[in-house]
Amino acid sequence: LQILLLTAGFLVLVAVSAACVVFVNKAREDSGWVVHTVEVENQTNALLLEIRRAESAARGYLLTSGPEFLRDHEDAVAQILPDLDKLARMVGDDPVQRENIRKIRTAINTRLGQFVQEMQFVKQGEQDKATALVREAAAGDTNTTIGNVGTAMREEEARLLVLRTANADRSQTMASTVTLAGSGLVIALAGISIFLVRRESQARDAAESRLRDNNVNLEATVDERTADLREANEEIQRFAYIVSHDLRSPLVNIMGFTSELEELRDSIFQRIAALGHAVAAAAVPVVPVDAEPTLQGEDKQLSEDFTEALGFIKSSIAKMDRLISAILNLTREGKREFDPVRIDMRELIEAIVSTLAHQADEAKAEIRIAPLPDLVSDRLALEQIFSNIIDNAIKYLKPGVPGEIAIRGRTRLGFAVFEITDNGRGIDPKDHQRIFDLFRRAGTQDKPGQGIGLAHVRALVRRLGGTMSVSSELNQGSTFTITLPVHWNANNRNADS
Amino acid sequence: MTTPVTIVMIEDDEGHARLIERNIRRSGVNNEIMPFTDGTSAVNYLLGKDGSGLAHKGHALLILLDLNLPDMSGIEILRQVKENKYLKSTPVVVLTTTDDSQEIKRCYELGCNVYITKPVNYESFAHAIRQLGLFFSVIQVPPAAS
Repeated sequence: LQILLLTAGFLVLVAVSAACVVFVNKAREDSGWVVHTVEVENQTNALLLEIRRAESAARGYLLTSGPEFLRDHEDAVAQILPDLDKLARMVGDDPVQRENIRKIRTAINTRLGQFVQEMQFVKQGEQDKATALVREAAAGDTNTTIGNVGTAMREEEARLLVLRTANADRSQTMASTVTLAGSGLVIALAGISIFLVRRESQARDAAESRLRDNNVNLEATVDERTADLREANEEIQRFAYIVSHDLRSPLVNIMGFTSELEELRDSIFQRIAALGHAVAAAAVPVVPVDAEPTLQGEDKQLSEDFTEALGFIKSSIAKMDRLISAILNLTREGKREFDPVRIDMRELIEAIVSTLAHQADEAKAEIRIAPLPDLVSDRLALEQIFSNIIDNAIKYLKPGVPGEIAIRGRTRLGFAVFEITDNGRGIDPKDHQRIFDLFRRAGTQDKPGQGIGLAHVRALVRRLGGTMSVSSELNQGSTFTITLPVHWNANNRNADS
Repeated sequence: MTTPVTIVMIEDDEGHARLIERNIRRSGVNNEIMPFTDGTSAVNYLLGKDGSGLAHKGHALLILLDLNLPDMSGIEILRQVKENKYLKSTPVVVLTTTDDSQEIKRCYELGCNVYITKPVNYESFAHAIRQLGLFFSVIQVPPAAS
């Protein structure tokens, strides 16, 4: 619409300018015509004046025969025809005036003829004839005709003057009217334009303030959701903490009384053995009594079953205790506050690698560290993350194949991306999610482990505001990718407590 | 123990209480053991009917305290004991499943004398309790008095 208005304004301006030029030209032309009319009138007067002058000089010559009158008369006569021609040229465009010119030319020619005759008579000394001719001429209609036509011409020109003056006035009025109207239109368009611009800017201000409100709302909503999530997370941690604690209490009892049972079993079976021996001794007195009472037959079988059952109970309790401890450790890690410091990643990884040097030697693994970006983050958490991943890489190499483990890093958009690549046994893609679950493991179960490491690592990476993923094929080695913010601060995600 | 020290055992789990008592006896400690399974009755006993702790003036007490009690936190009992002018010099042994370092620190700050985590492994548990029994047999417990 703005463009439309501007275009319209521009067009109006062009039109007004063109009209102005046209009308100014017209006015100039009209003025020209007015001037022309005045000139024609002057010329007519001049012509008539010359005729009069010729006539009066002729009369003077007739009376006095003075040569100065003759000269004057000849001058005037000589002037008449050029004046007439000039006048004829000037009024060539006007049919009325052309007719008048034709009439006056005839009359003048007649009169000039009379002048010639008069002069002839005077020169020949026939004054009477000349006087008579003058009288005749004065009485005749030639002079009258000249006078009349001259008057008619003047009147015609006067009429034209009035007409042309009116025309000129109209043209000028038109020009100024058009200019005024155009200016008015342009001003109106400008007014509309300004109005529209103001309305638009008001609309934009309104939209902006709405946007700002929305942003504030959005932030509030995000904060709210974050708080909710944090609360839920804390609740889960409290829950895990309480549950694992409360599970531990009965476990102490189960373990304790199982051990008591074990001791009881020893006493019971000793007594059974003693009784058995007593019976046997009663039957066969020659058996030496100093030997240790040992169980025989069914009794021995019973004792072994007893021991086996207790063994299963105790190993299960031990396993349950380990699991509970793992959960407790995880919740404890979840509660630990992070302390962000500047960390030289290469130094940190090298320290981890040197603590794992023994295992790496045993597995014939070579560990290469590429240049790594430095971070501001929690040192302990990073140590746990990378030592778990590198430890896994060494632990799950292909037996008999020299290990190659590479650690690379780069930064991207405020995040540091670390890649730990190995040529080990790899992970089946269907297990890629599973390996990050607590107490879940994948592949051949030939190495000791609880299925805690990667769950713990991922929890830590998340708390540090990062993500981690794995890409791997069975027998093709694995690449673990860890993305962490270069600059961790307490406002990042999961900054709880 | 030479003085007739009474061991006040505040433990909600009767199995634990039994195991603790057994192992203390095995270490040769024959003092009277007063078992309580909840915090309220224990506090009532310790502070007496008037809540001043005056009832135990002149008696030597030793408190074995579990932190996870059904009705109140063991820490609250510890605080009340250590704030009481008659009981404040009574040795308190915290014996609990919690091994959280914050919790341990808090107990020592409140004036607990020994903090022992109950190991699930029974050998360790029994060993710890027997050590504690030996410890009981050598420490001097002052009578509750101002």
